[in-house]
Amino acid sequence: MPNDDPADVLLRQQKVLADFGSVALQSEDLDAVLHEACRLVGEALGTERAKVLEIETGAQSLLVRAGVGWAPDVVGRVRLPMDEHSSETYAIKAGEPVITQDIRTETRFGLPAFLTDAGVVALVNVPIFLPGQRAYGLLQVDDTVPRDFDQHDIEFLRTYAMILGPVIDRLHKVAALRDSEERFRLTVETATDYAILITDNEDRITDWLPGAEAVFGWSAPEAIGQPGAILFTPEDRKAGQPEWETETARREGHAPNVRWHLRQDGARVFIEGSVWPLHDGQGAPRGFLKIGQDVTERREADERLRTLMQNIPQLIWRARDGGDWTWASPQWLDFTGQSQEQSLGQGWLDVVHPDDRARAREAWSEARERGSLDLEYRVRRASDGAWLWHQTRAHPMLDSGAGHVEWLGTTNEVHVLKELQERQAVMVNELQHRTRNLIGVVSSIATQTMAHTGPTDAFREEFHHRLAALSRVQGLLSRAEQEPITLRALLRLELDAMGAITGDRVRLDGPTVHIRPTMVQILALVLHELATNARKYGALSDGGGRLGVDWQVRQENGGRWLLIDWREEDVLPPAEDATTTQHGGGYGRRLIERALPFTFDARTTYLVEPTEIHCTIDLPLDRAGQDGRPAG
Amino acid sequence: MNPAQILAGRRILLVEDDFIIADDFAATFVAAGAEVVGPAATPGKALELIERTERLDGAVLDINLQGDLVYAVVDALQARGVPVIFASGYDRAAIPERYADIPFCEKPVDPARCAKHLFG
Repeated sequence: MPNDDPADVLLRQQKVLADFGSVALQSEDLDAVLHEACRLVGEALGTERAKVLEIETGAQSLLVRAGVGWAPDVVGRVRLPMDEHSSETYAIKAGEPVITQDIRTETRFGLPAFLTDAGVVALVNVPIFLPGQRAYGLLQVDDTVPRDFDQHDIEFLRTYAMILGPVIDRLHKVAALRDSEERFRLTVETATDYAILITDNEDRITDWLPGAEAVFGWSAPEAIGQPGAILFTPEDRKAGQPEWETETARREGHAPNVRWHLRQDGARVFIEGSVWPLHDGQGAPRGFLKIGQDVTERREADERLRTLMQNIPQLIWRARDGGDWTWASPQWLDFTGQSQEQSLGQGWLDVVHPDDRARAREAWSEARERGSLDLEYRVRRASDGAWLWHQTRAHPMLDSGAGHVEWLGTTNEVHVLKELQERQAVMVNELQHRTRNLIGVVSSIATQTMAHTGPTDAFREEFHHRLAALSRVQGLLSRAEQEPITLRALLRLELDAMGAITGDRVRLDGPTVHIRPTMVQILALVLHELATNARKYGALSDGGGRLGVDWQVRQENGGRWLLIDWREEDVLPPAEDATTTQHGGGYGRRLIERALPFTFDARTTYLVEPTEIHCTIDLPLDRAGQDGRPAG
Repeated sequence: MNPAQILAGRRILLVEDDFIIADDFAATFVAAGAEVVGPAATPGKALELIERTERLDGAVLDINLQGDLVYAVVDALQARGVPVIFASGYDRAAIPERYADIPFCEKPVDPARCAKHLFG
């Protein structure tokens, strides 16, 4: 082929340029264009081998970017160092084609191994420049036989390389543009958190991006052509919000779009976004760009948190070291009547009880070191001015922003608890008092019983029975809070213990009367003595007889009085040794005639006749005037 | 000195609302040669007795008198310089601070200890 007719060669070479031109215009793929360039030039010069070398970033090496006639591991892989002694580097620097006719006689340059491996003996290097004289690389044509590249060849290659430069440059720009377009498309289409849509001047939807579908539910075909207002809630539509937003965007350059929106399925999503006016090339308005983010979840979480903070029964606040409040919850403001401003700094101390303030300040001064704050103080309730006990607790948190310590605290009403504790303390005292008194009573009973009986079996029996009565009445007293003790219950308790069942021989008659606990014990002992006597010698004895107990309540001098009338009739007259009666009755008589008047100002009578025993006890039920404490 | 020697001839006010204890107490003091004023079951009665009695050598006071506290009686006695002791089922800790120095006998009360506190 090299020996073809020069005219044919020229014609063929011109055809190659034309063919390449059409390829270069139709394709946007740089690799395909360069490959075709190599194929065509090899064909044109009859070498069947050509390649394009590209200067790599940093200009340290040349990459075989494209080529024909090479082993498979050459194109895209082989790199040549840009070294001073290579013909490639020389050609680029010189800006001129460099020809090696026969490597065996070449003295100026060395040849890369892959070329000698491929049997190359002749080659020409033509530099490729991009517009602006920026070196791109080389077009290299190789032959396996020595060859004298003539002037025609060189001119052809020079022209060819000059066309390649701008073609490569155009394809670079196309690729860069495609990259940026791709980036833009990816950004917009994959950002499904963001709803992006465009409307026209009438606010009709013209562009509906995937994010808008993800957020609002409508597909693009469903949405396009609809008014932008379909995304507004009915309330907002009614209030003219859609128009307000587009008008504001037009006037101000943009408008906030932060409110609840409507999804296709009717659910609501909270969008934080904005509306931007769009203009065409001449600056005339052409519609609106709307971009928004679905923050429903965050907003709901915020609202849940706010609901929690504002509705829990604790008073919440934030403070800096030393107790300088920076925020108080609405509960605190409601409870104390303070304004947010009044509560800040040390202002909250104004509604703490004056007696507790020093303690509160002290607790704060130690709080940093302790790492916590925990104390109780009284806080003034605005509604009635009452000082109610509150427990305050706080922990320090490191504020990530400012780096200083912030305290988050709660103040919790514990007044009722505190009162209960106090009441319990009183009750424990009361219980102790009652119990110790009881032991005193028992001890006195023992002494006095012994005085009557001597240390005998009689003592044991009487003492045992009296203790049993005392014990029975303790049972009633322990339940007195829930179950008020009535006179009838006391009578039943003692008579039942005697085995006396109300019926033919026993009659109880009177209204329901509650006996106050302090009166119960002695009254029970009195009734025990009366019943014991009746069992031994009177109406409940084997001798027969009848017992009637009547009682009534009346008002006297502003207080209630209880009159108990105990009457035993048809009693068998006492035997000769009536002294026993005196013994048994002696203790009961002392209780009736001395203890009741002593303790309660009671008026009593106690009459023992041969066939009749009659006892009356008239005692005030209330403690009018005795109680020194004010009512209530 | 045994209680009998300490108590002989002393005139002592007893304030105690429980008759059984008061009676027993009174008997013990009388047996030791003392003269008992009362016993009184309420603060009101006790104050009446103090008013009426010219000489008092000491007083044994229960604290809780059916719910009324005895402290007004203490004030009246201390105003006259009469030595006082408490004999109570109350816990010592329940007594107000200003009466904390007054000798205290827990129930059941041993009269000999009372005597020591008053005159010992």
